[in-house]
Amino acid sequence: MDTLAPLVLLTPLAGFLTNALLGRLLPRRVVGWIGAGSVGLAFIFALMILGQVLGGQKLDQTYFTWWQSGDFNVPFNLYVDALSSLMILVITGVGFLIHVYSIGYMGEDPGYSRFFAYMNLFVLSMLLLVLSGNLVWLIIGWAGVGLCSYLLIGFWFERTSAVLAARKAFVMNTIGDVGMIFAAFLIFLNLRVLDYRGLFERIHQLPRGGTVITAICLLLLLGAVAKSAQLPLHTWLPDAMEGPTPVSALIHAATMVTAGVYLVARMHLLYDWAPTAAATVAVIGGVTAFFAATIGTAQVDIKRILAYSTMSQIGYMFLAVGIGAYAAGMFHFMTHAFFKALLFMAAGNVIHAFHDDQDIRHMGNLRAGLPITFWTFLIGTLSISGFPLFAGFFSKDEIIRAALSAAGSEFWLGLLALITAGLTAYYMFRLFFIAFGWEWLSRDDRHLHEAPSIQTVPIVILAVGAVVGGYIPVANFLSPVFGHAVEVSTSGFIGLAALSVLVALAGFFAAYLLHARRPELAVALRTRLGPIFTLVEHKYYVDELYDRVFVRPALALARFLNEVVEPRVIDGAVNGVADFFLLEAREFRLIQTGRVRSYALWTLGGAIGVVLVVAAVLGYLPLRLGG
Amino acid sequence: MIGFALVAAWELVTAAGVVALKRPLYNALSLVGNMLGLAVLFLMLNAQFLFAAQVIVYAGAVMVLFVFIIALLNPVSDIALPPRGIEWIYGAVFGVIFAALLGGLLFNRGLTGRPGALTPEVINATGNVQTVGIALYTTFLFPVEVTSLLLLIAAVGAVYLAMRRIR
Amino acid sequence: MPVPAYAFLLLSGALFTMGAIGFLVRRNPLVVFMCIELMLNAVNLAFVAISRYLNSLDGVVFAFLVITVAAAEVVVGIAIIVQVYRAGRPMDVDGLDLMKE
Repeated sequence: MDTLAPLVLLTPLAGFLTNALLGRLLPRRVVGWIGAGSVGLAFIFALMILGQVLGGQKLDQTYFTWWQSGDFNVPFNLYVDALSSLMILVITGVGFLIHVYSIGYMGEDPGYSRFFAYMNLFVLSMLLLVLSGNLVWLIIGWAGVGLCSYLLIGFWFERTSAVLAARKAFVMNTIGDVGMIFAAFLIFLNLRVLDYRGLFERIHQLPRGGTVITAICLLLLLGAVAKSAQLPLHTWLPDAMEGPTPVSALIHAATMVTAGVYLVARMHLLYDWAPTAAATVAVIGGVTAFFAATIGTAQVDIKRILAYSTMSQIGYMFLAVGIGAYAAGMFHFMTHAFFKALLFMAAGNVIHAFHDDQDIRHMGNLRAGLPITFWTFLIGTLSISGFPLFAGFFSKDEIIRAALSAAGSEFWLGLLALITAGLTAYYMFRLFFIAFGWEWLSRDDRHLHEAPSIQTVPIVILAVGAVVGGYIPVANFLSPVFGHAVEVSTSGFIGLAALSVLVALAGFFAAYLLHARRPELAVALRTRLGPIFTLVEHKYYVDELYDRVFVRPALALARFLNEVVEPRVIDGAVNGVADFFLLEAREFRLIQTGRVRSYALWTLGGAIGVVLVVAAVLGYLPLRLGG
Repeated sequence: MIGFALVAAWELVTAAGVVALKRPLYNALSLVGNMLGLAVLFLMLNAQFLFAAQVIVYAGAVMVLFVFIIALLNPVSDIALPPRGIEWIYGAVFGVIFAALLGGLLFNRGLTGRPGALTPEVINATGNVQTVGIALYTTFLFPVEVTSLLLLIAAVGAVYLAMRRIR
Repeated sequence: MPVPAYAFLLLSGALFTMGAIGFLVRRNPLVVFMCIELMLNAVNLAFVAISRYLNSLDGVVFAFLVITVAAAEVVVGIAIIVQVYRAGRPMDVDGLDLMKE
């Protein structure tokens, strides 16, 4: 395994370098298949690693010492266990399918090779993040995915909105990065290690629930919140939909935004040891899930709805890892990767069919025109809404069950999660009904055509995953890392399942009623809710709030520094030094009169001065020199 | 002692004459007198060789040159003396400072140097000129050679300057 | 009673002072030159006096070299002054300020 692990990293690296340096010279097909192929190759290596992990193997291998000065020793080591192998399987597997899809989707784009280079770089960074065996390389990978997110959101850089969105994402990510780095500082200060093995061994040296460990966990949480677009650092994710759809699918649905969940799961020993921080994680997750779901009900851009849906589902994952149900959170991560990537890619097909129009009110009745997309999107919607037997049902259920069966305040979070599940079903089916239409037309005269197979086959594969993924025994697989889950009685299981199915059906029927059967009711409801609706539609005005509180003062400060400080203080200081010398020179030049006698005067004066000094030093003057 | 006081008085008077007299010729003649007095002082200080050198070289050659030039150029006395009052202030200030320094000398009467071995008796035993000669050509050989070079340069420079044509 | 050393040094200092004042005050270049000579002589006196009182010949030798150098300097200086005279310029040190900045 110790050669397989770096190979997983090296293939996307090779893909990136090839496409970055030679991409312009190679034909399009080649570029695309290099990009997709390298990730596919990495997937095969990941499967091989899976085989070994199932056989009970683990890896914590140092390949070389990267940075060592005194106590501070950062090796380049890779850490492979059940958790990281699950992550790399999803990253490379789903990533491969998305890359293949992009070959078709980005086919006409002038920046084709640049796109694949960036995507490979992203996969490399994400794998590095996940496989790293110490905090420093994790942060390096973390920063790498942030960079790629910026590059890919702003891929169509001629568009102002894209550039602004990319910058917004990057700035918010940086806030999280600062938290991560400070957490690393604290860890090193207190425990003098940064690699996982040392960290996990020594973590119990700190007092349980004490300020230090809580601070560390909260700072790490700051990074996770920024990266995973949870409250309050969530505003960048909807704007990130400016990027191409495959980017949204890969980065902002399946992988990068889940890095925060991975972080908490990987650091689960720390969070177990700091209950306050863990509770914060859970609360943030639960509240974000509900909050995002409400906003999703009022949006009309297909990708934005999916973005808020992502935010909401990641909230579920945060809730899970916050209450200690790490396996449940990772299970949901896997199923979410399947159906969210599927949903995004299908949405991409629809957007292409409507020539880049993303407003769902302009769509409808797509069964005849885009059959494959239609049915796969339906499967994805059923899965995310938690319909029984689909994958989303199983994973979401585990989380809700873990929350409801826990003692104390987590129960209320579980209730919130249950309500959110209903909302999820509602807004997803609202999306489905409005965009795809419920009328079962057999013909359609808008001349819509289905996407080519290179764009539909990956979606179909993912649709299969969205159905059967629920049967993969993820919890068992992850038990070497997290320990076994608490067994629940069968009646409890069935009771809870029934409850969640009920909630999902309620959401479905509400959507059916309001958007399929009687659209006029929806309009009436909107006017009745009036200001509340406007509030939700405008995302609770959080962006506006941040603009007032943070952005404008910062801009004002920058303007002040540029217009006042820069010319007066800094330039003034530099020019002042020069002016001072000029002044001095001008004064001293007056001595050069050219007249012998004035020179003689100065010389004599100097001579007297020297004599006086010598006399004083030698003690001939009745003077007291210092000491 | 009396001799010293007399010669010292003569020195001071002629020095004042160099500085203060109006016509350059008078200044030059005062300087000649000053140098002769100095030669006498050298004699008192048991430096017979230097006494001779002073008379021959300084008073005899340098000052003669001066007098020749003054006679040749016949320069007018200072264009206006004094044109600017400020100069006397400079003079006065420096005079005061120097006087203070000299006064300081009065309070520190001892010589702090390390006495050597050449007492006047020892010198006179060998003869003054011989001793000075030996010192010049053994201990002070290098300065002597350098000085000869300097004289050469001065001679060349003077010849060059004299031969320049004035436009 | 033998003459004390400081008497010679005082005399030397007085002569030097007078030479310095004259150098600063006078405007005829020849007279200025003569004041320089006066200063050099004063220094010579100091050298010889100390040499005598410290039983050494170093001061005497040095004074001798000073005389030599002074002679050379006078030669060149007179040559310059003669040139100034022949160029028709006024014989006034204040007017010779071609080296002004």
